[in-house]
Amino acid sequence: MSEISTVENVEPFGDGFIAALCPELIIFAGLLALIIIPNIGKGTFRIPGTQTRVMWLFGGERFKITSNPKLPAWIATITLGAAFVQTVLSFQDGVDRTAIVTESGTQLLLVNGFSRVFEMIFFGALTLAAFASMNRLEVKGIGPKLSTDDLYNNRRQADFYILMLTCGLGMSVVALAQDLFVLFIGLELASFSTYVLVAFYKESKVGTEAGMKYFIVGSVASGVGLYGLSMLYLWAGSLQFDVLAAQFIINGTDPLPLIGIGFVLVGFGFKVSAAPFHFAAPDAYAGASSPVAGILATASKAMGIIGLIRMLLIVASPEASEDGTVWLTLLGTISIVTMTWGNIAALGSTNPKRMLAYSSVAHAGYMLAAITAIGAWNWDDSLAGEPGEAAVAVLTAVIFHLVVLVAFKLGAFLVLSVLESDGDASRLSSLGGLAKREPFLAVAMFVFMISLAGVPPLAGFVSKLLVIMGIVKVAIGQMGAEIMAGGDYGLADVHWVWWLALAMVINSAISMFYYLRVGVVMFFEEPEEGRTGPLPAGWQVRFAILACLMATLFMGVASDQLLEICEVAAKSLNYSWN
Amino acid sequence: MTDLISIPLVAFPLIASMILLAFVSNGNARMRARLVGPVRMACLVFSLLMLVLTTGMFFRYFGDVTWMDIGFNEYEFEHKYTWIESLGINWAVGLDALSFPMVWLTTFLLPVTIIATWNEKHGATYFPLLLMMGGALIGVFVSLDLFMFYVFWELTLIPMFFLILKWGGKDRKYASQKFFIYTFTASVVMLLGLITLYFLQDPYSLASSGTMTGRSFSIPELIDNARANNIGDNWYLGAQMQKILFVMLMIGFLVKLPAVPFHTWLPDAHVQAPTGGSMLLAGVMLKMGAYGMFRLPISLFPHALYHFQLALMIIGMVSLVWGAIVCLGQTNLKKMVAYSSVSHMGVILIGIATMQPMGWAAALFMMFAHGIISPMLFAVCGAFKHHYHSMEIGAMRGMAKHSPWLATSMMFAWMASLGLPLLAGFVAEIMMLIALWKMISLDGWSIWWMVGPALVLALTAAYYLWSMQRTIFEGGEDTQPPASMKGHAIPDISNSEKFAMLILALFTIIFGVLPWIALDMMDDWTIQAFEGLIIPLLRGGV
Repeated sequence: MSEISTVENVEPFGDGFIAALCPELIIFAGLLALIIIPNIGKGTFRIPGTQTRVMWLFGGERFKITSNPKLPAWIATITLGAAFVQTVLSFQDGVDRTAIVTESGTQLLLVNGFSRVFEMIFFGALTLAAFASMNRLEVKGIGPKLSTDDLYNNRRQADFYILMLTCGLGMSVVALAQDLFVLFIGLELASFSTYVLVAFYKESKVGTEAGMKYFIVGSVASGVGLYGLSMLYLWAGSLQFDVLAAQFIINGTDPLPLIGIGFVLVGFGFKVSAAPFHFAAPDAYAGASSPVAGILATASKAMGIIGLIRMLLIVASPEASEDGTVWLTLLGTISIVTMTWGNIAALGSTNPKRMLAYSSVAHAGYMLAAITAIGAWNWDDSLAGEPGEAAVAVLTAVIFHLVVLVAFKLGAFLVLSVLESDGDASRLSSLGGLAKREPFLAVAMFVFMISLAGVPPLAGFVSKLLVIMGIVKVAIGQMGAEIMAGGDYGLADVHWVWWLALAMVINSAISMFYYLRVGVVMFFEEPEEGRTGPLPAGWQVRFAILACLMATLFMGVASDQLLEICEVAAKSLNYSWN
Repeated sequence: MTDLISIPLVAFPLIASMILLAFVSNGNARMRARLVGPVRMACLVFSLLMLVLTTGMFFRYFGDVTWMDIGFNEYEFEHKYTWIESLGINWAVGLDALSFPMVWLTTFLLPVTIIATWNEKHGATYFPLLLMMGGALIGVFVSLDLFMFYVFWELTLIPMFFLILKWGGKDRKYASQKFFIYTFTASVVMLLGLITLYFLQDPYSLASSGTMTGRSFSIPELIDNARANNIGDNWYLGAQMQKILFVMLMIGFLVKLPAVPFHTWLPDAHVQAPTGGSMLLAGVMLKMGAYGMFRLPISLFPHALYHFQLALMIIGMVSLVWGAIVCLGQTNLKKMVAYSSVSHMGVILIGIATMQPMGWAAALFMMFAHGIISPMLFAVCGAFKHHYHSMEIGAMRGMAKHSPWLATSMMFAWMASLGLPLLAGFVAEIMMLIALWKMISLDGWSIWWMVGPALVLALTAAYYLWSMQRTIFEGGEDTQPPASMKGHAIPDISNSEKFAMLILALFTIIFGVLPWIALDMMDDWTIQAFEGLIIPLLRGGV
């Protein structure tokens, strides 16, 4: 599996435009369908001056099928699913590398292995979440006898799924963008959709509060990011990634670009919920309905990681300076603080959704550690080894982690979603006796938990292993060959990022406490008062959980194929690495 | 030759147990109660089939393998399939004289455990979990790939976690989580060591290197590579790195073994675990630590082993003596037996640290002998608990009168564990003592090193005899049933328990009287390992 090596420039609506942006166009078409179809009714139009009435479908009493409140969910699921399948299929025989350019030839969007994998993550997560949400948003049937509230509930079905689709669209723009400004537009589109999606959880009081908090903190972070963006524009005169990168090599250590990049990173740091920008995350996750929280923890986080990768590895590229990059120590510190803080906070939280939110913070720390390691790959001329090789290895690990995270993180949120429809999932004891109430859900949840903790042979183990391997590879470099040649090296000669790997494994061990606790509660504690009966039905959410479970198991034991895809993606981030 | 390991011994028990688990957990309570019998029978039959297979392997019925002359780092029944090509990960299995006794022991203990706990009114998921445990344990012993080794190493935790959590005693939640987290922490440190080792290889120097990373996880290739470089004063990977990696790997194995001061999870886990869990935990799972030491750090880093010889000897001595002293103070029967395990694991460490072939063979035989004796100890404890509803040593007196079968089994197991001649434990202990003498006389160590073992011989006899005196004999005719019996008549152990005890006792005698059945292959492995590993260091050339 590889990528076609030459880039093909395509102007908007030129030849190959549709093929290149097929997934996005599918989403766009789905968006239109979602706006139009639920409004189609028996409306007629009388040709003036005659008695002839022409069916024009807008207005009037709606058809039975178009007024079905479940219809928007199906449209959204099918649309997102089709986009997902489309991205997966594009890996089948080599990924096309296509750039969408303006008339003057500036690259706006770039379709390659890297963006395709991230599209796969976004659409995969959104498909599952949309499908599972069918059981979440209450539907009280159809007909004229419904109360206003019920009608309102029916009506907001479409709104919810429209937001899901715009969220997907924004995210994929982030993956494709070759220009910082385009990237920010995509980011904001996705962010605003998620703000509203968080606040959409109106069954509970916390929903609105969470949406508000998330919105305020998020827009401050975006504002800071935009401010940094303007500084970068002032400095380089362009927001193209390649222009910025070229400028950075020349005068990257000036204060202005460094401050600008720092500000931009604040914006992305909020999205990945890295400490100290993570404070809104637990509130937002706990207040959002579980499938939405699952999106925040997987797709939205992957989107933030793209931003970080583009800023740190393309613009403030490690190649730009001789001995490691300017941000190395800072990012390394942040990563350790983030993972430790996340894990320790998760230890003390009794709300499973907050616990998952903090575990998501911890996972952000692991990924920041990996990105730190990439920054270190040219640390020593004699020892560091092939430059690109190590960077590709680490980046492959990061991407692999983001892909499989969809399976077990989202899966865990979906299990909580079933409990939420049962009433409440905001206490650990809500999970009590789940094994007796529905063994399948308990087993699935347990698998997701130990996968998050990184227990073999599950996907979470492979991803954590890959990240640790990547870090160690960078830290050790060519030392093996040097030792064979007679050198004697110790840990003092290894690059300090090795200690990030140690911090990671120790943190995994800490995290074991709270992941296991969930298993203990599910299998060995009695259900809460009045919650002994069977859980609410809904095959869609269970099907989504089953899919997540299968993926978690499968990616753990047969990760070869996915690994190749991720490697293609990693290689295509920066072509100078090959 | 067909692959007799991957499917029949590893995949089959794992998959069969999962199917059984899925099968039983999908019904209502009544159906589950009805399924206990068939599921139990199925698990017994499956484990017996595996026992037949491994026994057949021993008697050269399946594959003509002479276990006595397999060279060091050579494996029989070897099979290799590509798993994750880009990282150099293979599914590689094989057996040698180091792993085969452990595999046989696992397959032997599985049916015995099932029989011993036949009537303990466990739910239908208990027996499949035992089977799953067996599959994971065998996976650890047969894997010839570091990745696969680590996967099974961690996989053993899951069924054991549930066994303790579901059927354990009062503090089972605490004990199971402590057990899981303790060993998990140690093994992630080991994992970091393994990965560091992985990336310290010369890229693309090994046959099964990954296409992406250029390194290999293959254990035989790594050992060969290490042997080629551990010659004379030349340290494989350099002196500093070899020491660091040795320590990182040993942390994982010492916690599993467990050695003082990493042993505190063991008494908790044992006391809380159900009988079957304890039997497998003490019988095989502890041996994973010793096995791992031989397979990885010792085979890869003999220089570092010499370097840390004194440290290992001290840890071994402390485990031996401390375990025995703590035993004296126990009032809980099971806790006493658990600490005696710590003490016996000290014997293994001392055996390794003597750096004598005899010492290593003693360690190997101790692994095997303790693997037969300690399940019997725990079976006795389990029967005691099962019938007298108490674990306190003073709870039941005059057992010789009321429960002659249990008293006899207890006496036999206790005697075997304290090292009565003609029983399996004695062979290992006497070998360890001889090796220690040899070390003292040949390598010029101080004679004071004999004080520890000599003291422990007395201490072991003391705590075992004292506990027997208090449970079996004291009280005689006049004893009343313990208060925990609530006035019920005192039963003796059930027939299935009797049967399991008899089998275990029989094999304790067999391997005590005819130790060469297992000892020959271990001796051979030790000698080969010394020729392959240690002699090149001393002579400076092969």
